[in-house]
Amino acid sequence: MISIDKYAYSSKLRYKDPMQKLVFTAMTVAVCIWAKNNIISVVVIFMMGGMTVLRGGIPLRFLLKLLLVPMSFLLVSIFTIAVNISDNKELLLLAVPVAGKWIGFSAAGLKDSIRLFLKALGAVSCLYFLSLNTPMVDLLSALRRLRIPKILVELTGLVYRFVFVLLDTVNRIYIAQSSRLGYSSLSSSYRSLGAMGSMLFVKAYKQSDALYTALEARGYDGELNVLAENYESHWSWYVSAVAVNALLVLLAVVMKSATGGPLL
Amino acid sequence: MTKRLQLAIGIMFMTILIPKTASAMHIMEGFLPPVWAFSWGVLCIPFIVMGLFSINKTVRGNPRLKILLAMAGAFAFVLSALKIPSVTGSSSHPTGVGLGAIFFGPAAMSVLGLIVLLFQSLLLAHGGLTTLGANVFSMAVVGPLVAFATYKLIKRAKGPQWLAVFLAAALGDLITYVVTAIQLALAFPAAVGGFGASLAKFMGIFAVTQIPLAVSEGILTVLIFKAISAHAREELKSLKVFSKEL
Repeated sequence: MISIDKYAYSSKLRYKDPMQKLVFTAMTVAVCIWAKNNIISVVVIFMMGGMTVLRGGIPLRFLLKLLLVPMSFLLVSIFTIAVNISDNKELLLLAVPVAGKWIGFSAAGLKDSIRLFLKALGAVSCLYFLSLNTPMVDLLSALRRLRIPKILVELTGLVYRFVFVLLDTVNRIYIAQSSRLGYSSLSSSYRSLGAMGSMLFVKAYKQSDALYTALEARGYDGELNVLAENYESHWSWYVSAVAVNALLVLLAVVMKSATGGPLL
Repeated sequence: MTKRLQLAIGIMFMTILIPKTASAMHIMEGFLPPVWAFSWGVLCIPFIVMGLFSINKTVRGNPRLKILLAMAGAFAFVLSALKIPSVTGSSSHPTGVGLGAIFFGPAAMSVLGLIVLLFQSLLLAHGGLTTLGANVFSMAVVGPLVAFATYKLIKRAKGPQWLAVFLAAALGDLITYVVTAIQLALAFPAAVGGFGASLAKFMGIFAVTQIPLAVSEGILTVLIFKAISAHAREELKSLKVFSKEL
């Protein structure tokens, strides 16, 4: 139903310690966002994408399709940033006159946009490396080890499990409604969606009630404890994660000092 | 080309392009500079902590509510994955901010919103982890607060129920994107004109285009709310615990 989740469970990196994947992702995202450097961003995109496809065994087609998901936000926002309104035509590379002012792209704005585009894609490929290779259950166990408040982790885990139950309900209601022409016009779609929303609420309520009763019958006292999985863990993973990122930082610093830009 | 023609072509492109792309509007991963990503995250902490404390208090007295709250979170996630058709012909995802705030109150919504946004970024690739703070602030803190205040205000003024629900949902949705526009403008001030010019640009693209979608969400929320209060009066009563105590 949710394909990212499906791939995460079948990833070849699944049994690697989620903490190591989390640390590696966090460091790489931080370096990518800090560096704001086109070359670093491209290196990060290929490194994380390569890890996901070659080591994790995620199909390249799926990863590429996933990279298109944030594209609409990215293109619209970058376009918004790149377009400037000015009285002075000299500032802009390409401009059209509108109501006495000039609207267009400036050279600096265009350069910034490309940098932002690559930087965001680099960060997104880090996020995908994490979400495509780490099932939510494993990620939650890592969060528990990070001392995130217990109630938050537990609620998140419960929500995760319920999401699939409710999504299944939604799918079945949707099929039933659309086979009766429930979505044939705008007003009927609203009516159908309203009915679906309320039925979903009632079902969710009943389900949670039944679940609680079942849990209580088995000695539930307010906490759900499950055994943690055994993960493949090795210190050399941390070392290589740090080494790779140190190399990236070094590369960024060298390039920054070469162009004379500010370090931070 | 005359000026008027150019303007007409521009507006035509705007109306063709924008509504279709207005569906996934959380700030994406890696888009905000580190300073802003961090600050918005820090700004959310008091709200989350407050929400967690009050949830803890409610849940300790009645563990059944913990399961119910989790189910509510899943409900909000699934609701936000639905597509609502808009009057302009495009479709968008509802934020669920209004319904959640009315049912569970703004404090519990901050925590539920955090969980929903986390899942959206990890499972659906909408939004991101570094921008989680900014998105939580706009969708799980400010949105529900405004929606809740609107609802209470109209109820207190003895306005009709449907109007209260409609305005709460529509304003909650709209204010979420206004805050998003402000966040983007703060992070990316325009080279010419600074924050103000940038805000005008982002408002034009993110907030103005959102108006029909906010109206759609308002209508849908009224329909769902009506159906729920007709079918599940008893269940609604037990939810009062959240909006009162939290």
